[in-house]
Amino acid sequence: MTAATRVNDRLAMPLPATISEAIALEMERDPTILCIGEDIGRAGGVFGATRGLQERFGEDRVMDAPIAEMGFTGMGVGLAQAGMRPLIEIMFVDFVGVCLEQMYNAAAKVPYMSGGRQRMPVVFKTAGGCIGSAAQHSQCLWGLFAHLPGFKVVAPCSPHDHKGLMAAALRSDDPVVFIEHKALLLKKGRDFRHHPDVPDGAYTLPIGRAAVVRRGSDITLATLSATVEHALSAAEDLAEEGVSVEVIDLRSVVPLDTATVAESAGRTGRLLVVDEDYLSFGLSAELSMRVLEMLGFSALTQVERLAVPDVPIPAALTLEKAVVPGPEMIADRLRRMAKGS
Amino acid sequence: MVAMRAFDEACLEALRRKAIHGELHVGIGQEAIGAGMAEALEPEDAVVSTHRNHYHALAKGVDRRALLAEICERAAGLCQGRGGHMHPFDPSTNFSATGIVGASLPVALGYAHAFGMRGMDAVAVGITGDGGSHTGGFHEALVMAGARKLPMVVLVENNALAISVQFDDVSPTKTVAERAAAYSALGLHVDGTDVDAVADRFAEAMDHARSAGGPVIIEATCHRFRGHFEGDPEGYRSKEERQRLRETYDPITLYRQRLTTAGLFEDGALDAIQAEEKAAMKVLLSEVLDMPMPDPAGVLDYLFVEEVPA
Ligand SMILES: Cc1ncc(C[n+]2csc(CCOP(=O)(O)OP(=O)(O)O)c2C)c(N)n1
Repeated sequence: MTAATRVNDRLAMPLPATISEAIALEMERDPTILCIGEDIGRAGGVFGATRGLQERFGEDRVMDAPIAEMGFTGMGVGLAQAGMRPLIEIMFVDFVGVCLEQMYNAAAKVPYMSGGRQRMPVVFKTAGGCIGSAAQHSQCLWGLFAHLPGFKVVAPCSPHDHKGLMAAALRSDDPVVFIEHKALLLKKGRDFRHHPDVPDGAYTLPIGRAAVVRRGSDITLATLSATVEHALSAAEDLAEEGVSVEVIDLRSVVPLDTATVAESAGRTGRLLVVDEDYLSFGLSAELSMRVLEMLGFSALTQVERLAVPDVPIPAALTLEKAVVPGPEMIADRLRRMAKGS
Repeated sequence: MVAMRAFDEACLEALRRKAIHGELHVGIGQEAIGAGMAEALEPEDAVVSTHRNHYHALAKGVDRRALLAEICERAAGLCQGRGGHMHPFDPSTNFSATGIVGASLPVALGYAHAFGMRGMDAVAVGITGDGGSHTGGFHEALVMAGARKLPMVVLVENNALAISVQFDDVSPTKTVAERAAAYSALGLHVDGTDVDAVADRFAEAMDHARSAGGPVIIEATCHRFRGHFEGDPEGYRSKEERQRLRETYDPITLYRQRLTTAGLFEDGALDAIQAEEKAAMKVLLSEVLDMPMPDPAGVLDYLFVEEVPA
């Protein structure tokens, strides 16, 4: 295979295929990894992110579960305590309501409660984000997990980051909530504005390191997950209007890479945090505050946040568009900030 | 049944015209359950349904114009376009639904307790698929309903599939109905493709619950003719299998055969009824699609029912 056909294959690959490749590579390396979830085996996942795994690794290591999330989430905790490395899939993040108990009272707290004696290598893989599916199938909820001490919370954007961070999550000894975005899961490599290239073979990326995905000098925009793509699109529009926006993909909420954002905001003097999760008590305020604490309260001329106002996601698309930050909404806010200087 | 089929077919058309978003679940193939249960439902009875809820809503008497308008996300919809196809709420008919599997049953339990406390002879019907019967909510709701002998009917639509997962592969019991003994509930089983049988069995279930006999699990076996949601690639079953199910178990075809064999109706008259329903839905859909979308300016309305001081 020539390098060119390899790249083309990668670009034609749906994001879920890259994710299942990452899981397969780790399962090959480590026989203690097993996957449990609804529709992940025979169907290969509702988005295809576990496709081919059951054929390859068998039903014991890739198990179709009944709709019994409390049961199989707690099973993940027990498996981890017994020395295995489970990946537990909660199909959509909205469904954690029925199994949060085992996640936040057990998985997240046991390492601490045991005085560091009990490791908890569980990955909770789930999909979030808005694609027109109304209040019970559209949430992001990374702010919720971040608020509960004890989880690492990862929400990548590019195919490259999905692969490297999934591998890192599976190798982590701490519980990792790995939140994919439904809109990204429907894309192929070539649809991504940044980093669609994916190396062959296994590799990890450190959890907790943000990436500057577009250089700029006027405004710093920090965000994550699918919003990175919207932010890049808005930044392109603004560039044509003479405003230079630096875009940072946070990649994880816990750990939160404040230093990278602060370094950038210190240069541009302006920070916008965009979040597809709910506004209040969430990522946008937390990151803004941490940056100010790091730089000093007079270091920036503008600090703004754009997130879902505190309302459930409405069904009607006209309403969803009014509350979820998309490219136009982000561009409008950037324009206003640029004028406000 | 025919009206329910025509309603869901109108939804498919609305989806083709991009008036519906998210994962649409239709009940095509399962209408005998909706039609059968409609006969025994009283206005004050409650029905708490699932993601696959349109025919249940029609069975409970939810206004079909408002329902279709909601499914098409219109401002004049049942829930002002906030709920959409998975979340219709109609307090006036005691109908509601949820997109979270298994979450319908604890809510039905609440209705049942309220009916008991108020001394009403109303019954709460909680609906779930076979998949939902494996949830904690199913178990917990039945534990409480059984212990308190509450007027609750759990209707399990067993179409043998939860998306791709087969009932036989994950259920510890051959049927759901046989689990009733664990909850001091009455367990009933019925062929959910036979509308007469459903009507009889469901009436029996409702009578039992209404006359203080305690909860009932009624399991109706049926078949889902289309994908789990519209757009489901259905890699877990073959086209031929789907075709076979449609040809063998269509509740409308089966009922037509019964009516014509008994000499009660001619095919022509039955065709006319079906054509009439189709035409009515076509008109209704075009009216609904002409209705305005919700105004984004009001997007924060209804977060709280009471005014919240600024
Ligand atoms: C708690 C929860 N887990 C998973 C899902 C995703 N999901 C939606 S419908 C469904 C299958 C439901 O199967 P069943 O209860 O048999 O009903 P059917 O779709 O066959 O009517 C699943 C897994 C969900 N909505 N809620």
